Amino acid sequence: MSATETQTTTVPDTGTQPAGTGPATAPENTWLTPGRLRHWGVNAAVFAGVLLVWWGITATGLIQPLFLPSPGSVLQAFADSSSCRPIAEGSARIVCGEQGYFLWEHLLASLQRIGMGVAGGVLIGVLLGFAMALIPTFGRLSEPYLNFLRSLPPLGYIGLLIVWFGIGDTSKVWLLFLAAFPPIAMATIDGVRGIRADRLQAVQSLGASHIQVMRHVVLPASLPSILSGVRIATGFAWTTVVAAELNNGIPGIGGLAYLSGTQLQTPLTIACIIIVGLAAITLDFGIKWISQLLVPWQGKA
Amino acid sequence: MTATMNSPAGEAGLTQPKIEFDRVTKVYRTDSGDQVVALAETSLTVTEGEFICIVGPSGCGKSTLMQMLAGFHHPTTGRVLVDGVPVTKPDRNRGVVFQQANLYPWLTTRQNVELGPRLSGVGRVERRQCAEYYLDMVGLAKFADRKPYELSGGMQQRAQIARVLANDPKVILMDEPFGALDALTRERMQVELLQIWRERRKTVMFITHDVEEAIFLGSRVLVMTARPGRVLMDLPVHLADGVPGPELRSQANFINLRDQVTDAIYRAQDGATK
Repeated sequence: MSATETQTTTVPDTGTQPAGTGPATAPENTWLTPGRLRHWGVNAAVFAGVLLVWWGITATGLIQPLFLPSPGSVLQAFADSSSCRPIAEGSARIVCGEQGYFLWEHLLASLQRIGMGVAGGVLIGVLLGFAMALIPTFGRLSEPYLNFLRSLPPLGYIGLLIVWFGIGDTSKVWLLFLAAFPPIAMATIDGVRGIRADRLQAVQSLGASHIQVMRHVVLPASLPSILSGVRIATGFAWTTVVAAELNNGIPGIGGLAYLSGTQLQTPLTIACIIIVGLAAITLDFGIKWISQLLVPWQGKA
Repeated sequence: MTATMNSPAGEAGLTQPKIEFDRVTKVYRTDSGDQVVALAETSLTVTEGEFICIVGPSGCGKSTLMQMLAGFHHPTTGRVLVDGVPVTKPDRNRGVVFQQANLYPWLTTRQNVELGPRLSGVGRVERRQCAEYYLDMVGLAKFADRKPYELSGGMQQRAQIARVLANDPKVILMDEPFGALDALTRERMQVELLQIWRERRKTVMFITHDVEEAIFLGSRVLVMTARPGRVLMDLPVHLADGVPGPELRSQANFINLRDQVTDAIYRAQDGATK
């Protein structure tokens, strides 16, 4: 807060004026302003341009469809993987989706794994982060191990996890958990260590016990940092999901992307990639939105 | 009315000072390993109900003195006693008003003011009444449901003072609380603070680098100097016995005291730099 408070609201009896409270003005309707419309218009134009270039390259036949399938064939892959159809022209046998599951079922399976992995990561990461920040000796001793784990590529130890936990879902969720919790723990540590001393001193001088200091100051004050850790962890979990689903990853959007590639079904691979990207963006948007609900003071205080 | 007001607690301890600094020193070690004497050996007693102002240039150890009394830091040698008991950690009986308003942005202004009573288990209705009372006192009743970051700097500072008062501490420590305010707001806050002190008869330790502010507010003014920090002058002030107003500042008495203190600070600084 800047100290430049010049004209307003200094005496009780002048406290009626709503002015002088700076950032309190509520935003007006921000959806259909000319600026917004132009913004969306430009976005749509760029998207159409990208599609057009893609279509143009494939239509000229410069690149073989195996390497770069056309937009139309990717769209067909979307349709096929989301519907039931005869296995061949005129055949009575019907197949549904891809590899026995619809595309959305593949996505849902991956989302569930990511959800479980990240949820475990939040639980353990936040607890461990608090412990490491609040117990200095423990923090000093354990930080190198956390950094070690954080720098490992998930692909490197998925084999080990399969040996330990089997080829089923358990090893996949473990992998996603191990990818998700170090960034959350790190962000929690940073959040707790970054709390200003006078914030703690103020509540202690009001008579807070250790537990009350934690509940009323440490937890809310580190929340912005924890939430940005969750965002990073979720992003990282998406990049890990293909590694998690390399083996026995059906249903699973990452598993399908990998399998379709090995079977030279490149339109389907690209369809999977698009789905992963869109899902990741949507999830990130959701976390950002929740953060703004939980931490409305961020950047203001 | 609402919060438990001051009981006449002083009677038993007429002989015992409210606050006692007993041969206290504070030495800091800087990052580069040098030792800095923030406070040379200082002994000081404060009687219950005194409004003691500590004035001095930056680096004279006045904040160090306050932080040891608050329990945020420990003396290197010596002891700090409140009611004869050594200070070991922060306590709800020693309320602290910080230089920066230091309100919690995850709470509304009202919830900030309620926080002290809430921590000590006061019921919802009662602590709300208590918060209303003090918010009204500092003129923020209409802004109770705003978040602190939606208030101006002066309002935030008043909310912080309300938060400390609502917790009803016996001793109030204030570290340049009006330093960041404009002159007009500042004068008004000074008058309000004096009124509160008169009504509640708290013991106040108020730190400032503003000589006029110290003389205007204090029933006693301590002048400190830097490198090493020590008390140079201990001056009783009886200006504030009547109802003080801005007119006080132009009285001969006031000007006389102000010049006396200012001279002392200049002389000490000249001595230190030679």
